[in-house]
Amino acid sequence: MLLALGAVLGIAAPALADGAQSGADLHVAQTIGDRDLTVIIRRVAEVPGPVHVDVVTHAGSPPGEITLTARAAGAATSTVKVVLGAAPGFYSGVVQVDRPGPWELAVDEATIPFVVPALVSSPWENATYGGFVAAGLFLFAALAFAVFGRPRLALVPTAGLVAGIAVATTAALLSPSIPPVAAPGTQLDPTFDNVGDPYQRTSTVDFSRPPVNLVPSTVGDDLVLSLTDGSSGRPVDDLLVHDSAFMHLVVVSPSGQLRHLHPIRTAPGEYRARLRASEQGTHAIAAEIARRGGGVQLLRSSIDVSGTAARPDGGRADLRTDIREAGRPSTITAGFGRGDLQPWLGMLGHMIVVGPVSGSPATAPIWAHVHSMIPPTPGMPDKPDESVAAYGPDVPFTYSFPLPGKYLVWIQVERDYSVVTVPTVVEVPAGKGVSAK
Amino acid sequence: MKRSVLVALAVIVAVAGALVVLWPRGVEAQPHLAESAQLRFVLTPATTRSGVNSFDLRITDRAGNPAPGNEVVVEPAMPQMGHAIAPITAGPLEPGHYRVGDVGLFMAGQWEITVSLSAERVVIPLLLT
Repeated sequence: MLLALGAVLGIAAPALADGAQSGADLHVAQTIGDRDLTVIIRRVAEVPGPVHVDVVTHAGSPPGEITLTARAAGAATSTVKVVLGAAPGFYSGVVQVDRPGPWELAVDEATIPFVVPALVSSPWENATYGGFVAAGLFLFAALAFAVFGRPRLALVPTAGLVAGIAVATTAALLSPSIPPVAAPGTQLDPTFDNVGDPYQRTSTVDFSRPPVNLVPSTVGDDLVLSLTDGSSGRPVDDLLVHDSAFMHLVVVSPSGQLRHLHPIRTAPGEYRARLRASEQGTHAIAAEIARRGGGVQLLRSSIDVSGTAARPDGGRADLRTDIREAGRPSTITAGFGRGDLQPWLGMLGHMIVVGPVSGSPATAPIWAHVHSMIPPTPGMPDKPDESVAAYGPDVPFTYSFPLPGKYLVWIQVERDYSVVTVPTVVEVPAGKGVSAK
Repeated sequence: MKRSVLVALAVIVAVAGALVVLWPRGVEAQPHLAESAQLRFVLTPATTRSGVNSFDLRITDRAGNPAPGNEVVVEPAMPQMGHAIAPITAGPLEPGHYRVGDVGLFMAGQWEITVSLSAERVVIPLLLT
């Protein structure tokens, strides 16, 4: 019986440990100046202790030096310089953290907020282990009474033994059904208090937050995006990492060239990304963000850019399309020849859909971002990082084009640390009298 | 003698109780029923585990007669992930009876299976473990 309980506990304990804290690696794509980097903050094993940071460079990223700084409450604790070579790949640095709580990793002028979790055992784990420990002590007491000739008194610790085992068993068996507490960082604003005491319950049940206003402007070559709260007007500084970035910014030029950028946080509510060799005219922009508390928002806007160069999207792929009428799922499969694609932003491929276009993409009614997912590997809960070049060659997408008309479509995958963008145009026919639900 | 019988009984009761509490329970593959304006769809998945699945579909009219039609389209999607997979088309084994094989439902969670026969469509929720 005890062995069986031990087995149950052994299974239950790690699941509980994962429940309250997200102890996974944090992957953040960042467009810092002329570089497209992925910054991977590895899980923190002990506090105080080291935080391993991997910086992944991509093809065309200039070599140089970047500075990583860990900061808590504005005070820097450790700084390390990482030299980026000319070859794309992984470059590592280690910074130190000295306490659990909300931290910031500064990568040059970009700042990445992250949470260093405290290792706190849950109340039900304490009840389980405490119950078994108490039962063991009562057992010794009962034995002692029996040995020293007071068998009647031994009944008292025996009752305690039974009660201890009952408490431990109940806690162990019920723990999987206890709802998880709101996690600081994803649902609650992280503070040193709530990170250090994650099992404190709050009265809040609806964690969602107001919509966001996006105001773009340009400063030199940089696109500066100001995010303000739609209800209070204050800067929005609670963006979550979703699909490996704080913000997925898609910029479509007047001639239909696409850029998929990941702006860096330079101040509360201010994000910026460099538009290299931009084209003259009105660019359509759309930003995907997720605020703390849940839900992804799409913020659309447009901006006039002065520039001269037009850079064509150069990628090629063997496209097989099965386009159905509007409202029904269409399938586009891009074949990339060899099965050596790398995950980009945690996905096998991305497809951006803008349309139906009649004039400028800025006025297109539909804007979509479709994913092709990496097939899950059994026994591997962590998603693979970019060093795994083993996917493809076929990248399928399924999307129900809501309206008939001409759509601009771009498919993006990563190979050899370089993002390949394949542009295409899709004509979607009108429905043939089928009820579009 | 009496005591040993009592102990044996207690052990049996304890083991039986533990088995009842700890026995792993799976979700059984049950038929899922959905009705549109004219038709009645009954979808039975081969398994409720994630992975390659196949569906047994019986489509009748409201009176229970096999529905006419020669092509059923199954559109699986996972709303929580914002992800759909390619629709699968199948022909009838016999009137009103379809088998849709090789459906790659690779992720555990709540799926939505849209089934359409000519102009009639239903959405059937399917929970995979």
